[in-house]
Amino acid sequence: TTVEATRRLNVKKQTLDDAYAAPANFLEIDVVNPVTTIGTNLPVFKVKESSVRRRYSDFEWLRNELERDSKIVVPPLPGKAWKRQLPFRGDDGIFEEDFIEDRRKGLEVFINKIAGHPLAQNERCLHMFLQDPQIDKNYVPGKIRNT
Amino acid sequence: MPVTPPQISPVEEQEKYLHDALGIVKAQAFHMKRALDKNKLMDALKNASAMLAELRTSLLSPKSYYELYMAITDELRHMELYLVDEFQKGRKVPDLYELVQYAGNIVPRLYLLITVGLVYIKTNTSLRRDLLKDLVEMCRGVQHPLRGLFLRNYLLQCTRNVLPDTPESEEDCPEGTVKDSIDFVLMNFAEMNKLWVRMQHQGHSRDRHNREREREELRILVGTNLVRLSQLESVTLEKYQKLVLPGILEQVVSCRDAIAQEYLMECIIQVFPDEFHIQTLNPFLKSCAELEAGVNVKNIVISLMERLAAFSQRSDALGSEGANILQEVQLFVVFSNQVSSIIVNRQYLPPEDMVALQVALVNLALKCYPDRIDYIDKVMLSSVEVLQRLGLEHIESHTSVAKELQKLLKIPLDNYNNLLMVLKLKHYAGLMQHLDYFGRKALSIYLLTNALDNETVVPTAEETEQALTLLSTLVSDKNEHPVGEVDMEELAEEQCLLARFVHQLRSDTPDDQYLILTAARKILVTGGPLRIKYTLPPLIFQAYQLAYLYRDTKDAKWEKKCTKIFQFCHQTITALVKAELAELPLRLFLQGALAIDQIAFENHETVAYEFMSQAFSLYEDEISDSKAQLAAITLIVGTLEQISCFSEENSDPLRTQCALAASKLLKKPDQCRGVATCSHLFWSGKSLASNGEETHDGKRVVECLKKGLRIAKQCMDISVQVQLFVELLNHYIYFFEKGNDQVDVDILNQLIRKIREELGNLESSDEAEQITKHFNNTLAHLRLRMESPDGDRDVYRGIKLDPEEGGEVREEKGEK
Repeated sequence: TTVEATRRLNVKKQTLDDAYAAPANFLEIDVVNPVTTIGTNLPVFKVKESSVRRRYSDFEWLRNELERDSKIVVPPLPGKAWKRQLPFRGDDGIFEEDFIEDRRKGLEVFINKIAGHPLAQNERCLHMFLQDPQIDKNYVPGKIRNT
Repeated sequence: MPVTPPQISPVEEQEKYLHDALGIVKAQAFHMKRALDKNKLMDALKNASAMLAELRTSLLSPKSYYELYMAITDELRHMELYLVDEFQKGRKVPDLYELVQYAGNIVPRLYLLITVGLVYIKTNTSLRRDLLKDLVEMCRGVQHPLRGLFLRNYLLQCTRNVLPDTPESEEDCPEGTVKDSIDFVLMNFAEMNKLWVRMQHQGHSRDRHNREREREELRILVGTNLVRLSQLESVTLEKYQKLVLPGILEQVVSCRDAIAQEYLMECIIQVFPDEFHIQTLNPFLKSCAELEAGVNVKNIVISLMERLAAFSQRSDALGSEGANILQEVQLFVVFSNQVSSIIVNRQYLPPEDMVALQVALVNLALKCYPDRIDYIDKVMLSSVEVLQRLGLEHIESHTSVAKELQKLLKIPLDNYNNLLMVLKLKHYAGLMQHLDYFGRKALSIYLLTNALDNETVVPTAEETEQALTLLSTLVSDKNEHPVGEVDMEELAEEQCLLARFVHQLRSDTPDDQYLILTAARKILVTGGPLRIKYTLPPLIFQAYQLAYLYRDTKDAKWEKKCTKIFQFCHQTITALVKAELAELPLRLFLQGALAIDQIAFENHETVAYEFMSQAFSLYEDEISDSKAQLAAITLIVGTLEQISCFSEENSDPLRTQCALAASKLLKKPDQCRGVATCSHLFWSGKSLASNGEETHDGKRVVECLKKGLRIAKQCMDISVQVQLFVELLNHYIYFFEKGNDQVDVDILNQLIRKIREELGNLESSDEAEQITKHFNNTLAHLRLRMESPDGDRDVYRGIKLDPEEGGEVREEKGEK
């Protein structure tokens, strides 16, 4: 009957701990040249706070690994600076401020998108990228189990 | 090349969004009202829904959202009024409550539901309880903090006048009772608090500061729930104790958010009446102990204490019921216990806050229980325990802890204005010890000044000891090691205060007064040479006064007691001598000799002689400056002149000593004057030999004066000579007038002639003019005597005052 169908649901009362707990989906990644800092309380990441140095080529490496192994559509990276690496330019080349800032923003958006995606979150390459001091390019690709 | 868009400031962005939204609201509201005019409810609902859709935005800051919210909810009133009107006219819209739930988006849906629900409640109170419950639960659908807070605020404001406010009853009451209102508001409050706290976790961690500011802007939304609870008249004390307060405190403590806790605890205090607070102190304060580290618990507790202290004073004034409350509730005991608990449980409470709480407790005690000095003592003890536990000794004066501690220690004094009351506090001294040297000194000066300003008298030896021990930083610097040199001016000021205080140590009972003096000396003597020169003299003078008192009251053993007193004084003055002082003890011995002479107890002649010879020893051994010597010998002579108790055996050597000492002064003029002064000893000085009458030894008087003349003649400076002659002339005239037969008219005439001669030889100068004036005045005196109708003109016959006979000298300059 409509009455039964539209009856209010009985909701279990929320515990005070749940009500006031900090949301369990905190993930914040800041790319601040040249260091990347990560803060999170997601269960999948073992380390809650880390700070690592990454080059542009490291981001490229990560993108390639994810394109190959994960099921996500990997977002694009901000452009590489081919032209800017040539000598005899009128400006500061790859050190010019606006260029640096745009690239920084682009990388930040890129990494936040990826790290927030559930299907990328258990990739070993991502964990290594975010948490290990050095990237070991000879690693064994694979998935991290959520223990 | 891409063109970068013009940078709009966040403020300008907000203004734009708001402006756009308000435009839409205005348009939709217009259409809605027009539809209502034409009774086209469905259309009006569609417009209302479109209008409410603006509240779905995530782009606005709280301030801007609020403006938008106000504009929209204003317009919704039209809808409400229309529906109420329709319903009351009997034209109910069937299933309207269900109908509005078909709105596609949840935010417009719930605003409409609340509006319609309100109409239902207003037109049919039997639905009230169930509808209210439904609405407060449905709002759970919006979990976004900002949108949720405003939605629930709308619910609260709408239901402002329709919340049931009747006492609970046994029967089932579909209209609802106050219990239903309490449940309703508490649930709304819990959900709002949850959303408000959730805001803390939104956004990037670097924006935390801004977020907290925004949260502060929204706090009144949450607080309004508490206000609503306080407005329910059927909430009795019992309901408050059993339902309302526990419900609120549960949320406040569990949320573990410092911003929420600090605001809400204050809110509870402000919003509910004092009569409730005074009966729920324990649960409230217990919760305070459990608040987050960042919460300023001190302010909350102190705010409550001050409020209740004021309340109890008002109740007191209003009559017996107030006094009963104070008795019943034991305000001080409860707060004292809970404050201890708070201090123990909160690790991050800074020490100055702990002491500030003690200050508030003391103020409470004084306001509500002014004669319970044991309460004040308890606070002192608690403070000592707190400081001991923290290991805070020698707290530096410039720190906040020290400032609070100083404040605490001054309160009992400022309140009672009686140092004796402070002495009654057993733990006061111990608490004072936690300040550093400078802090204790400053406080001691404060205590002293208060005692002096209020003329507090310390009437027993025991209290004297306590007081002086309390002031130990001023009394001595043993056991202290103050850095740097002593500022002599400051020291002098302090010691003068202490010296004045010595005069406040007095009992009306002479025997007790003696005990006071001995107790005081014992302590003051430890002050060292720099201090005792200020503090012992008043003690000695008090002792002299006591001796007079014994004599006057004719106490049974007064003579023995006086002997003891003068022994005491002798010892005390000797202590000053040992401290390498000379003039001061000299004067004190002389003063003593005079007192002894007058009090005339058994054997007093011996004691007086002892005091005089001590004075002499000081003169001979310790005073070497010639000016000081002249002053001293003059004093000694002056004293001796007044003493009458000596036998010839004693008085002769003393007088002779004086004359000898005078004649041995370094400078001739001083010798001359000294010797002249001594002459009076032989005239007006008294002794037993003359039966206490004036000696009137004319011969020896003249011997002295003649010696004076001889010495004067030895002065090289003529003007000094002449000056001395004039002075001696005056001495001669004095004795002549007193009837010394050894001074005759011839002597006077000779001297007058001599002076006139020498004056003639003086070069004119200011000095010469002075001397001439002096001389002329002297002669004028004689003339007056000679011409006065009463008196013995005959005596003066033969004195030659005129120049031809040897008279005055013209005073004009340049004349010889």
